[in-house]
Amino acid sequence: MRFNDLVSGAILIVVAVIVIILTLRFPEFPGQNYGPAVFPRLLAGLLILCGLVMVIRGFTAWRAGEPLAVVPSWARDPANIVSALLVILAALAYIFLLDTVGFVPLTLVVLLVLFLWFKVRVPVAVVTALVAAFGINWFFASMMRVPLPRGLMDWIL
Amino acid sequence: MTVDILLQAFALVFRWDVILIIIASGLFGMFVGAMPGLTATMATALLIPVTFFMDPVPALGAIVTATAMAIFAGDIPAAMLRMPGTPASAAYTDESYLMGRKGQLDLNLGTNLVTSVLGGLIGVAILVLAAPALAEFALAFSSFEYFWLAALGLTCAVFLATNDPLKGFASLFLGLGLGTIGIDPAAGFPRFTFGTVELMQGVSFIPAMIGMFAISELLRGVTSMQGSGEVVLQQVGNVFKGVGGVLRRYWVNFLRGSGIGVVIGALPGAGADIAAWVSYAVSKRFSKEPQKFGTGHVEGIVDAGAANNSAIAAAWIPALVFGIPGDSITAIVIGVLYMKGMNPGPTVFLQNPQLIYAVFMIFVLANLLMLPLGWAIIKSAKQVLRVPKNILLPMILIFCVVGSYAMTNSVYGIIIMLVLGIFAFMLEENGFPIAPVILGLVLGEMFEQNFITSMIKSDGSFLAFFARPIAGILGVATIAIWLIMLWRMGPWSKARPAAV
Repeated sequence: MRFNDLVSGAILIVVAVIVIILTLRFPEFPGQNYGPAVFPRLLAGLLILCGLVMVIRGFTAWRAGEPLAVVPSWARDPANIVSALLVILAALAYIFLLDTVGFVPLTLVVLLVLFLWFKVRVPVAVVTALVAAFGINWFFASMMRVPLPRGLMDWIL
Repeated sequence: MTVDILLQAFALVFRWDVILIIIASGLFGMFVGAMPGLTATMATALLIPVTFFMDPVPALGAIVTATAMAIFAGDIPAAMLRMPGTPASAAYTDESYLMGRKGQLDLNLGTNLVTSVLGGLIGVAILVLAAPALAEFALAFSSFEYFWLAALGLTCAVFLATNDPLKGFASLFLGLGLGTIGIDPAAGFPRFTFGTVELMQGVSFIPAMIGMFAISELLRGVTSMQGSGEVVLQQVGNVFKGVGGVLRRYWVNFLRGSGIGVVIGALPGAGADIAAWVSYAVSKRFSKEPQKFGTGHVEGIVDAGAANNSAIAAAWIPALVFGIPGDSITAIVIGVLYMKGMNPGPTVFLQNPQLIYAVFMIFVLANLLMLPLGWAIIKSAKQVLRVPKNILLPMILIFCVVGSYAMTNSVYGIIIMLVLGIFAFMLEENGFPIAPVILGLVLGEMFEQNFITSMIKSDGSFLAFFARPIAGILGVATIAIWLIMLWRMGPWSKARPAAV
């Protein structure tokens, strides 16, 4: 989504107001005038200023006929939206499943799904996914000593 | 004393494992740079997890080499496919492509390669001469000078990186805001952590970078994959033929381009891509035959090809001396320096001079290595450019995930990567530049600390911020740029800053 500055500015103001509300609960230290709340409040104030100017600018543009939001050209093709969502879903899969499923099995699934969606030929996809999953695991887990979770690998191998 | 340090640095660099790492990262940088859509910053972000377990010198050497190569390699697809490999080649992509159409592909690639190497070396020479001298000077700086230096750097980032200062400042404040997450530097109170232990130490820096540079690029890449059809590539002959003649004819352009590159590189917030745009524009402005620009003319390419590579080295000057990144690559480098215990600032030149000189040596090596490696990549460009995107992009995603995980040894890194990746993608879609967010995030803590310290020292008086001579000059310069930007934003001025 591409938003008119009216919308972007309003979002900035809302974010800044939330920040200010959160800083109200920060402690005051007696004898110290400049505590943990000073800098975030200053930033929030400046953000509100930016947001206000953007709202005014966006409002003029909106009155002149600019829509509040436009769908960018890439998003008119549903396939592109699926592609973007698949990338995000893949990252989410790692966040929620990595510890239980393990790096190698999860990477195999993620790569296969993405390869096949992007129309890589099936044999190429399978071989590349296998080589990549085991190769990356070997490099990072064995060579670089990154504790990549083994998960299901423990009872498969 | 100095000879001793140089010998130590020499011993750190000329070891077979270090040389091997440099060559490997050189090849990696060439590949990433030559692939349209993959940037030099992305190369750096993807390198960090691999360099995490190395000693400081090979780790920094890998970054230096990969970025220098990537900036040159970006010129290759620009000339062959009319697609810049990195944004730093975008300024003269059309010119390069038209040269190729006129049958001057060899001359174009040769000129790009040689000006990149020589421009890079000029950048390194200035880095070697200027950084230690500046560091000595900077030893006397107090919190007031550092406050203004950071403010000037952040302002330059907004001033140079965007034609919409309003959105640039909004990006900057968002970045500084992200930087306030975690234990606050003055009183030790955990801010905006919502009770999570991981957020106490702040937003993890490298996963944030991987998200903002790699994941957001990836999202853009997968949404533009359709329609990139087969490309016919031209045969490359002897690329060095005729380059000497070009250099003899346009040596002034070469020096001017390198000079512009050094200045823009050393200014915080603007790097190789803006250096290329500016030097190309300057070249056209002062050319004797400006009508030839845009028809496949080599003159502007000499300027810009030298500028983007000299900017790469010059960006390290403020990064090493003040801890203020000169571009988005050195923003990541600063994170690496902290991880390796080489806290950037003037004292690193006193405590670890051998490490600094080792980095300088690698810079020279990398630029010399660019000649054979660049020649090899030009010769194999047909194969490299044929690597299918639909296999490459999913693999990059896996590297991003593993890299982010490796930084925190938990999925927390992946969470940061994903959240900031989507955040950066949305920002760019709506015309907010990303560079100021990064700079805000990197400099946030230092900026706040110096601001609060200065406020406490001066007891709230703003006049004290101008009382010391250097602080005063920096302060006036910063405020002058603010006023220029305000003036340009006003309704009475139609002139926008140079569109980049």
